[in-house]
Amino acid sequence: MAGSALRRLMAEYKQLTMDPPEGIAAGPISEDNFFEWEALIAGPEGTCFEGGVFPARLVFPPDYPLSPPKMKFTCDMFHPNIFADGRVCISILHAPGDDPMGYELSAERWSPVQSVEKILLSVVSMLAEPNDESGANVDAAIMWRERREEFNRIAQRLVRKTLGLPT
Amino acid sequence: MESFEQTDGNRDELIIQQQREIEKEISESTPLVSEQLPLTCLRAEYEGDEIFTAKIQELAKKYKFIRRTRPDGNCFFRAFAYSYLEYLISNNSAYQEFRKLAEASKEKLVQLGFPSFTLEDFHDTFMEVISRVSPENAEGTAKVQSELHKIFNEQGYSDYVVVYLRLITSGKLQEDADFYQNFIEGDFTIEEFRHQEVEPMYKESDHIHIIALCTAIGVGVRVEYLDRGEGSQVKAHDFPEGSEPTVYLIYRPGHYDILYPN
Repeated sequence: MAGSALRRLMAEYKQLTMDPPEGIAAGPISEDNFFEWEALIAGPEGTCFEGGVFPARLVFPPDYPLSPPKMKFTCDMFHPNIFADGRVCISILHAPGDDPMGYELSAERWSPVQSVEKILLSVVSMLAEPNDESGANVDAAIMWRERREEFNRIAQRLVRKTLGLPT
Repeated sequence: MESFEQTDGNRDELIIQQQREIEKEISESTPLVSEQLPLTCLRAEYEGDEIFTAKIQELAKKYKFIRRTRPDGNCFFRAFAYSYLEYLISNNSAYQEFRKLAEASKEKLVQLGFPSFTLEDFHDTFMEVISRVSPENAEGTAKVQSELHKIFNEQGYSDYVVVYLRLITSGKLQEDADFYQNFIEGDFTIEEFRHQEVEPMYKESDHIHIIALCTAIGVGVRVEYLDRGEGSQVKAHDFPEGSEPTVYLIYRPGHYDILYPN
């Protein structure tokens, strides 16, 4: 089982290296273990996260791609769909049925034909357009909805932090 | 507020995780596909139950053996694949036809919009499995049958075959969306149904899955329904309607196993 997971992860890594989507870099932390990846995600242009480079970690299960990986930002984040500990909470990281957040029917779900690239692109969309209905971080969701300027200021501080600039 | 809500989200995830572990424990106590067992072994499960006992009695007149599959939500696909490939081992011309259909199916799925890159692995594995159970194997049918059994009990191969059949099923639903839309209950669009109920692993199959897969592959399936319904007869249903069955399955609420007619 882990054999086919490894084969698939190696193929995905190769694909992502040869033809990386804009603003995304990802690969195994160490070539000895293809089941743990690091990803770097550039904050989408024209959003409050623009300019930042956000590191995250992906952990793949032995039965990948039958089951989805887990994803966690390893930098400070403040976003409606990211838990305080960095865990990313979007529908594509869940199979239908495994539904802690009550996603909408039409929300994109995990299936074996999805890929790391699709996940990371969804995360970029999530940064650009938070879903304030699914509150992994309720404070962030409320602030996003009601005090956008304050939210943007916090986001800009996080951006500077990822660049090692004084906040 | 923040920490309370987050604990709540964590708790939901923990509950889901725990539920999955329990399911896993139950399902892993059954092999992915069992040996052939005498049909009468079903009696033991319904001891003292008159309706089921009478129905099993009736069923035993038509079928000698049953082959159990693991109750993991993939049972229809796994049972179908095993049973059909087993049939093909001793039907070379049908095998050659199916092999051609399977070979061409990848291109068709790509045209229907499936990502070629992630499809490839499943298609390759599917073709490898088909090659390994070729009736033209010089070592004989018994050898190929044991190879089939071995492959289907190796999780990696067995699950990839299930994934690929799910994709063929999903492709058929999309290809004939106007037709299948009529069978979908609730607010699902065909698109949502495919992504939510067909493509992901471990999602159980309904009539619509069976009809779409049988139609896509051009195989008749007879399902015997062993349930608490009236009468001592077990009701059978052929998919697609009026077809000559090649694959025989037994359905008990929530689960499919393989049947062997006399």
